[in-house]
Amino acid sequence: MTSTTPTPVSAVGRPQPSATRAGRGTRRRVRKDLLRSRIAAWSAVVVIGAFGLLPVYWLLATALSTPESTFQFPPKLIPTDLTLGNFTALAENDQLIKYMINSLIVASITAVLSVIVATYMGYSFSKFRYRGRRSLMHLVLASQMFPQALLLVTLYTVFSSFGMLNTYTALVLSFTTFTMPLCVWMLKGIFDTVPDALLEAASIDGASRWRTLHSIVAPLAAPGMIAAGLFAFVRGWNDFIFALTLADKEKQTLPPGLVSTYIGEFQTAWPQLMAASLVVSVPVIVAFMFLQRYLVGGMTAGSVKS
Amino acid sequence: MSTAAPPQKAPPPRERSGGRLSDGAFALLLTAPGLALFAAIIFYPLLSALFTGFFRQDLRLPGREFVGLDNFTHWLDGDFLAILEQTLIFTVGATLVPFVIGFALALALNTGLKGSGFLRGLFLFPWVIPGVVVSFLWMWIFNANYGVLNGVLMEAGIIDESVAWLGRPGTAMLAVIVTKAWASFPWMMVMLLAGLQTVPKELHEAASMDGAGSVRRFFAVTWPQVRGVASIVLLLEFIWNFQHFDTIYVLTGGGPAGTTETFATAVYQTAFKGFDIGRATALGGLWMLLLLLLVAVYLRITERKGDA
Repeated sequence: MTSTTPTPVSAVGRPQPSATRAGRGTRRRVRKDLLRSRIAAWSAVVVIGAFGLLPVYWLLATALSTPESTFQFPPKLIPTDLTLGNFTALAENDQLIKYMINSLIVASITAVLSVIVATYMGYSFSKFRYRGRRSLMHLVLASQMFPQALLLVTLYTVFSSFGMLNTYTALVLSFTTFTMPLCVWMLKGIFDTVPDALLEAASIDGASRWRTLHSIVAPLAAPGMIAAGLFAFVRGWNDFIFALTLADKEKQTLPPGLVSTYIGEFQTAWPQLMAASLVVSVPVIVAFMFLQRYLVGGMTAGSVKS
Repeated sequence: MSTAAPPQKAPPPRERSGGRLSDGAFALLLTAPGLALFAAIIFYPLLSALFTGFFRQDLRLPGREFVGLDNFTHWLDGDFLAILEQTLIFTVGATLVPFVIGFALALALNTGLKGSGFLRGLFLFPWVIPGVVVSFLWMWIFNANYGVLNGVLMEAGIIDESVAWLGRPGTAMLAVIVTKAWASFPWMMVMLLAGLQTVPKELHEAASMDGAGSVRRFFAVTWPQVRGVASIVLLLEFIWNFQHFDTIYVLTGGGPAGTTETFATAVYQTAFKGFDIGRATALGGLWMLLLLLLVAVYLRITERKGDA
């Protein structure tokens, strides 16, 4: 999907049109046009920037405020007595640390499982042509769009009947319902960029199909596999509905854990909740820094046929 | 294009090089683990859920009783239309608002502003952070007693007294839509920006030379080139919002007085608060039917884009 969409460079190259046919008037108009679009562009950035980034500022400002200072109205837009106390309070909260460890374990296992299974499936979709391939691909694509709340009802009863509620296994399997389609599509796209000639060459040299996949294609696709894994990790890390329902305090992950810790009937401890929110966001932000290159592909894995 | 395979070797000696399986069988074998997993955790649960809609069943108890269409008529005679309407309001709002914002931003960044790469990264933040964090943050912003929105609006003299944004039927849905829009405009921006970058600069210059103003250029040059990306982004976001759960559940839980109840929250609450999984899955079945229509449209659109 990120592949180079070859755009026909506009017709017969017009060398410096301004110098020849178009007179000074046109040039001035074009420059004025440019200025106007600059101004429009900057105003758009400023207005949307306010909407997009002021909440982020407020997240940071609140996380660094003392609990007392947030219980005043109107709130101080620029906090004066800054503190890291909210963060140290988090570090001392054993239950939160347990949630975090659960999150790490479940999201990591989900990522590894999804990438392994999706590698074979994506490779099959990418490099082979056979009957039913198309339908299978559509099925995978569509399965990304099934409603989770509905899926959850049966998953709950099934896990319950196997005594699997409140286990890592249940969480990993339920997360896999949304990470697998994503990984299959991302990896298919990545295998599509591996030239067929390479596979033919390997086959001529006597490599078996398994060997070709494992020792020739997989190393080439490794960066893409890691990217798919990171995406799966992030999606698992961010999940809310499955972990909220299929696990309790022992095995729950951070997102539902934070809800049950902070969102209660009593006055919410906002500075601590904002600090915790930042902490949950850190791994995801770091992951995305590595994912820059795969961003567009990963966002829409499968949404555009490659 | 680069292979200079000797012509006499045209059919590669597969038999010698691989297992005994034909290519097709090998390919299917590769999909087997994935398919098994899909069947177990997606297809079976989904089909079984659709089936459960015809029974009276309690989440906590074993056993069930066939009740025909009772569960379906319960919804169709009751809240179905209200839930559908609210789901659509949420879905349309939470799709169009971020689309407009994301498109405007993409157009702005595409003019080659200084530091647009940095800005693009910065603007991703709302999309990157976990959905619950987004919900917490806006819950705090909308907070009735100490929220910054009330504070700013009051200082500016726009409102006289604090508004319980999330607690009032008139504003709760709006607040939920704003929250979801905030979380999704960045990815729309990235997608549309990628689309815009495929529009050749020369086209713009040529149109500009020919005297087309910026509005005309937008419709004559830019729009035709990004229409494809735009329709996919819109449809995908629509499908996702149609089944969105997290933001609504955390911010309002479907309230106040059910005014932000959507299919997702209604199915969830019926199953896990009301323990009535017969009714929950019946509503889920109706929901799924609507969703399938959307997915079919989506598949057709991507199909039309052609295969490699």
